[in-house]
Amino acid sequence: MYNDYIPVVVFTALAIGLLAAPLVIQHLVSPRHNKRNDKLMSYECGEVPEGSAWVKFNVRFYIIALVFIIFDVEVVFLFPWAAVYQSFIAQGQGLLVLFEMLMFVIILTVGFAYVWVKGDLDWVKMQLKYAHGRYSKLGVDKK
Amino acid sequence: MNNLQSIQYFLPELLIVQLALSIIILDLLSLKRWVNICVYIGLGCSALLLCQLSSPIDGFHIFNGMLINDSFSYYFKWIILISTASIIVISNYSKELDREYSVEFNAMILFVLLGMFLMTNSIDLLMIYLSIELVSIPSYVLAGILKNDKKSNEASLKYVIFGSFASGLMLFGLSWLYGISGSTNIYDIYNSLALVESPYMIYISLMLILVGFGYKISMAPLHYWTPDVYEGSPTVVTAFFSVAPKAAGFAILIRTFSILFTDANSLSVNTFPIHNVNWSLVVAVLSAITMSIGNLLALKQDNVKRMLAYSTISHVGFMLMAFSTTSVEGNIGIMFYLAMYMFMNLSAFFMVIHVENNFNVKNIEDWSGIGYKSPVLSIFMVLSLVSLAGLPPTSGFVGKVYLFRTLFATEQFYWLGIVAILNSVISLYYYFKIVKSMYFSEKVIEEKENIQAPVYTLIVLFSAQNILFYMYWSDLYNYIKGLF
Repeated sequence: MYNDYIPVVVFTALAIGLLAAPLVIQHLVSPRHNKRNDKLMSYECGEVPEGSAWVKFNVRFYIIALVFIIFDVEVVFLFPWAAVYQSFIAQGQGLLVLFEMLMFVIILTVGFAYVWVKGDLDWVKMQLKYAHGRYSKLGVDKK
Repeated sequence: MNNLQSIQYFLPELLIVQLALSIIILDLLSLKRWVNICVYIGLGCSALLLCQLSSPIDGFHIFNGMLINDSFSYYFKWIILISTASIIVISNYSKELDREYSVEFNAMILFVLLGMFLMTNSIDLLMIYLSIELVSIPSYVLAGILKNDKKSNEASLKYVIFGSFASGLMLFGLSWLYGISGSTNIYDIYNSLALVESPYMIYISLMLILVGFGYKISMAPLHYWTPDVYEGSPTVVTAFFSVAPKAAGFAILIRTFSILFTDANSLSVNTFPIHNVNWSLVVAVLSAITMSIGNLLALKQDNVKRMLAYSTISHVGFMLMAFSTTSVEGNIGIMFYLAMYMFMNLSAFFMVIHVENNFNVKNIEDWSGIGYKSPVLSIFMVLSLVSLAGLPPTSGFVGKVYLFRTLFATEQFYWLGIVAILNSVISLYYYFKIVKSMYFSEKVIEEKENIQAPVYTLIVLFSAQNILFYMYWSDLYNYIKGLF
């Protein structure tokens, strides 16, 4: 019974080994004189770097990525439904199946409408008519 | 039965989904003043729909074995619906919450309500996980709904991290069960578990699932999120968290463990843990630890919300004491105690909301003089605190009697009864610290107290249940007993 798990053991050993072996070998083989002072500074086309490399991250990138992932998962759910839809039509249940998927898409469309009206999709946030204060305190030019 | 025929048994939940979506749409069309009326009408209609769903204890499966419709879930749905409705009513009168986000607040609470309804019903592994996540994820948002408050952000972050971790462990346990049996329906899994030779496989899955459920109900050692999240969230949200998800968590815990991990595979029979896996002893030890941690750590708290969080943990410890006996009396005791607990906990929290609205309080010492400033409400607050402590002429005492009675009816875990009695005695101190500072100080408060009628009514109504249930508890108890 335990013979079935030999592939798992081999796989794990390979995974650990292929990760650990290069690290060990490079530590043994690499020259020591490259690991001090000036060699470790970040490269800025020959200039001396000044200040911190951290910049203030604008949260709108995160908002766009978050909205994208939600609707991407919705599309992922649409694909298998589209693949089997034809066979359901052949059985005569096409309308019912369409209605079920329509409910799913409608719920997500309400979310889409919410994100749109509240201004989360605008790259530059302006004062909006229906956002009720979401971005109303920004003080940017009114449209 | 299949999907189409099941819809008629699913109407309250469908109505809640439609209500949540419509209030979001109403907000987008800038018809915000209709949102409150819509929510009240919608909740009233779903209560009416819920009335039609009562069923015998061995209910029937709907949605192809995903959900079960029986009287056990029916009772829990009522507790959850009443507590959520009162929270929605009182959220309009809290000064902490931002009026601009009131629609999002209501929508989130309705989604949590839907998840809790599904939690009481679930009998499929996927449904268990889905409903727990449906409760958790809007809760993360609700804990952090005060966007400019640091404590609220901290509470939400801690809740997210702890919750995701616990859900991950629970998923591992659920997948273990699927691996043993090849099916996700817990009745089919039970049939496969009876054939497993080694008890360690069942132990591992049981422990991991206990992590997931125990996180939801704040069982030790998974209670660490409770004080920080309860202190940081707005008080309305804290009141909601302390009652409704706990009730749903207990429903799913009792149902899953009674069906999967006991000999009798049902809720309505006195039974023993499945062959040689003695998990009831583990739950008993965890219950003792939970009670003790909740009570001992509440002794040193200054913040009222933090203290009430620890008191929640200790109440969960008491309920786990009855759960560890895996008997019908235990389940009845827990269901009865949850009804008492809902009223006394909600009335205590509503009083905290009222005091925070009107007076500038941060600690228990700041409650000085409130006993004389608002005499009527303080009396009801004292009543709730006495009930929480479990002293005689209140419903909390009756609830605790039934929890203790379980131990004696099944003749197990007498040492747990002694630990519980000691913990009840200890808990008197921190409940009465509030009473002491309300009445036994010389401070005279000059601020004007603005009593809002719904807050006043809710506090009086819920707190009066403490006395009323002391006189009429037998009706409720016999009703619950008749459900089994």
